[in-house]
Amino acid sequence: MSQYTFVIDADRCIGCKGCQVACKLENTVALGPGRNKVCTVGPAGVYPDLQMYFATVMCQQCENPACTAVCPTGACYKDEDGVVRINRDLCIGCGSCRRACPYGCIQENKELRVSDKCDLCAHLREIGDTPACVRNCAGGALHYGDVDDPDSEVSRLLAAEAPEHIHTLRDEGNGPTARYILRRADWVDIRPQDCVEHSAHRKGGRGR
Amino acid sequence: MEQTVQKGAYLRGIRIPRGAAEESPLTRREGACTGQDEVKVIKTACRACIANCGVLATVKNGRVVSLRGNPEDPMSKGRMCAKGLSGIQALYHPNRNKYPMKRVGPRGSGQWKRISWDEALDTIARKLMETRKKYGAEAVFCSTGGGGNPEIWSIARFCNIFGTPNWFEPGCAQCYLPRVLAYTMMYGGVDPSIADSNALELYFPEDTPIKALVLWGTDPSYSCPASGGGMVADLRAKRVKTVVVDPRLTPDAAKADVWLPIRPGTDVALELAWVRYILDNKLYDADFVMKWTNLPYLVDAETKMLLRAKTGGEGEPDTFMVWDKKTNSARPLAYPWDDALDPELDGEFMVDGRVCKTGYRLLRERCEEFTLERAGEICQLEPERIEKAIRVFTDNAPSGLAIGVATDQTPNSVQAAMAAATIDLLMGNVERPGALLQRFRTSGCFDMPNYPVPVAADRLPPEQLKKRLGGRAHKGLGIWWAGHPSSILEAILTGKPYQPRVWIDRSGNKLAATADSKRWAQAIEKLDFIVHVYMYPTSFSAYADILIPSEEWLETDMLVETCNTLVARQQVTHLWETMDETLFWSKLAKRCGELGHEGCAKAFDAEYMGHDLPYWDSMEEFLDHWVNRLGMSWKEFAAKAPIEYLPKDQWRSYYVYQQPDPKNGGKPAGFPTPSKKCELYLESMITLGRTGKPFSPIELEPADQDYDPLPYYLEPVESPNAEIAKEYPLVYTGGRVPYYHHSTLRNIPWLREMYPAPELWIHPDAAAKYAVEDGDWVWVESLRGKTRAVAKVTAGINPGTVFMERFWAPENLNGPTHGWQEMNVNLLTKATAPFNDVVGTYTLRAFQVKVYKAEGAPEGVWLDPEDFRPWLPVPADPTQEVRA
Repeated sequence: MSQYTFVIDADRCIGCKGCQVACKLENTVALGPGRNKVCTVGPAGVYPDLQMYFATVMCQQCENPACTAVCPTGACYKDEDGVVRINRDLCIGCGSCRRACPYGCIQENKELRVSDKCDLCAHLREIGDTPACVRNCAGGALHYGDVDDPDSEVSRLLAAEAPEHIHTLRDEGNGPTARYILRRADWVDIRPQDCVEHSAHRKGGRGR
Repeated sequence: MEQTVQKGAYLRGIRIPRGAAEESPLTRREGACTGQDEVKVIKTACRACIANCGVLATVKNGRVVSLRGNPEDPMSKGRMCAKGLSGIQALYHPNRNKYPMKRVGPRGSGQWKRISWDEALDTIARKLMETRKKYGAEAVFCSTGGGGNPEIWSIARFCNIFGTPNWFEPGCAQCYLPRVLAYTMMYGGVDPSIADSNALELYFPEDTPIKALVLWGTDPSYSCPASGGGMVADLRAKRVKTVVVDPRLTPDAAKADVWLPIRPGTDVALELAWVRYILDNKLYDADFVMKWTNLPYLVDAETKMLLRAKTGGEGEPDTFMVWDKKTNSARPLAYPWDDALDPELDGEFMVDGRVCKTGYRLLRERCEEFTLERAGEICQLEPERIEKAIRVFTDNAPSGLAIGVATDQTPNSVQAAMAAATIDLLMGNVERPGALLQRFRTSGCFDMPNYPVPVAADRLPPEQLKKRLGGRAHKGLGIWWAGHPSSILEAILTGKPYQPRVWIDRSGNKLAATADSKRWAQAIEKLDFIVHVYMYPTSFSAYADILIPSEEWLETDMLVETCNTLVARQQVTHLWETMDETLFWSKLAKRCGELGHEGCAKAFDAEYMGHDLPYWDSMEEFLDHWVNRLGMSWKEFAAKAPIEYLPKDQWRSYYVYQQPDPKNGGKPAGFPTPSKKCELYLESMITLGRTGKPFSPIELEPADQDYDPLPYYLEPVESPNAEIAKEYPLVYTGGRVPYYHHSTLRNIPWLREMYPAPELWIHPDAAAKYAVEDGDWVWVESLRGKTRAVAKVTAGINPGTVFMERFWAPENLNGPTHGWQEMNVNLLTKATAPFNDVVGTYTLRAFQVKVYKAEGAPEGVWLDPEDFRPWLPVPADPTQEVRA
């Protein structure tokens, strides 16, 4: 078996959000929420002793995905490489998967009326290329690979790290496989969908 | 064919039906092409900001469909940021300036008519010639800045050749020039500005021995994520320690070993505390300071000039005096060093009946006030924290201090840069491996810094140079041959000393980028004629008489040097009737020449222009000239680029000052300063203020007061410690966000949906005090005006400070505000005195504001992602170059 997923070195993430634009450009994602999102975590603490870090969140490629379990048509499935994918031909746009994802990582493609999510740029991996966000990551924070293969880059990254520095998003039984490495700050248990990245979006979008 | 475009239509440009393209405009629409697709990947370089990150552009049937970083780039290493990746949305923006346009209604009416390039150039040139004849060439002024594929020297060159001494940038004295000036004068090498693509030592993390990096008023993660941001991340990963001096908890601050959230505008007080601490604890590199700085040299306490034993001959420095401990007397120190002498570093002596002090003593006296405790009070920092930061820097040699734009934006600008240089030079952090201050080799492919266009400074008649507005008072601007924006503004408003009448600007949005923009709007009303050269209309365009369509970076050719490589920014496509702005000025000069301007006509004569290069008729001709030095044509070069012009290890030339100089008897070459030493006591500031030398080709009238050879602290003119704070209690600061460069890209859907409006960062304590909640629209008000922003309540800012970035609203271009009056921090900034004495910097940061809740968002401002749909790209087929 293999499990392709992301390993995110949060110490290296500089919060520039280039990955969000890289993904939109590569995958022709419409305006509005994209397939990935940089969450600003913090600042926490008492000024001036503050901690803040950035966690890029995208599909966590769960072991037991909540989204595939609820999909009524089998459009949302876990592929042989461990990547959760959506077959657009089968998707009826019911939104069950979007509501089931504990991290808010599935969006609606309003033009095609189907669900849309990160598939680690499957079309690029097929031709031996790298996901757009990884390739363009300014801080070199984003890594992807097969965590079931002990020789993969991501497995070696994780093996080199102290276990207390390796984190996942909150596991609600779905078993997220994406891993976050964080040494310079204390990990905070965030829900990505609660992270408001611009204060104008704080009060229902129009800020009134 | 002429096409009249009425109000409303103008800002949306001439619409091309979109149809199916709207859904997936770049990858799915095939247009009229049938049969085999032609797909090319072209190596080029981004210009969404002033970095030049390597890009691979995929072009399908003439249309750009994809961008990715080029891994060959030694700085960006294949990475791209949000700004660069948005290049396609900028290129195919439906509101591009597509053709030259002429205003047909009243100013601000938005009524335009398409005209030919010939008519545009002819109209402008006739107006220039008429103005020159009636009022003198100085009544014409030009400006640049504000981002957007900038090319600074073309403007200076055109002005010099046309004969006007007046061009300006809202950057310049407010951005980068103070640092260039200080480092050039003090050690003669490159300044350590990361956002200006310097500190190149750091881009080789596998080699550099640097152990501690101070980021002072710079945030590479925000200003240049793909190059500097990634580089600093690489250094942190290899355990280089960092100190960040910034009122904001930027990403780099959050990851720093020590964060000093300084009160804006007090940097020199903190720097002088660093200097004092380094001197008193003898943490400096004693051998370097003694042998390679001028601190042991004796200074006449009254005249402030160095004592000289004799004037140097050709290639030799003057011989300066030191106090010799062995003989207890003043003795000449032969360059570079005399082992027979034992100079006193710190002291005051009588020499020939005059009180003399060493440079060191004068520097130490200057720091006297600035104990850690005193700096803590001034800068709102804990003294222990300051000490910890200094120790990170001094205890981890080699180290380096990268000073950013923050200190360039207050009237204390040049002194902040001088103090920053002093700190690094005291530590001997220069020209050794690991240091930021270096003179690495260059390709020699062109002679000017940064851009190849020669400024032709000698073509400006001396009597015209003397008329430069602000040129006498602020002679440091002479290093870039520039005028002083506030002096130009005052001249327009008062007619004194003369009336400027015609303005040609190439920049993003002058009304978003110049301080106190309301006064600039008043000034605009007094002008006879305004030309705006840009890629799309901005607020400034609304007031122009002629609009000139310039090329987006994906349409331009330029020769770029990136570390040890030469890169071709290549014209990936060309749309409508846009023109490279480097070519536009040449075309304009040609037309002026045809209308009888002798200097402009002669500017096409190779023999007459010599090393200044004759003007060019095409970009290829211009670029051929430079790459011919490599034995190639531009086309040949562009096909091969990027090329490595020197192996990395030869390019990084360390210890240049120790190389033997055959012109000076094989003695060490030293530094390119008058004394060939690092001039921490900067005597040449005095000469500059009195004469304009070494930058002015002629001797200018002296400034009102001598410039100070040592850095001094200037409390911000509006201070939280002064009366004004009762009404305006908070200190304002600005700074970058990673989505925009200067006033550019506010029309890009991908970027505006992430950052639709300016945030006002305010500390929770201040927010509670002023009844503001996160997400509230607030008014921010200074003595000069008020504007709106969205409150972001965050502990990540100095509690007495608020942060807001520049902004304007292109969606309101056709409304009464023209988009510059809603969310524009430059309604608050200060364009009047006090100015920095040397370069005239005005107050863009560190002034007082108040913040209170607003009733809501400004009228018409777009905030929701879907709002930006009208700006989605409209792909267009490539067009031929304009033949004007």
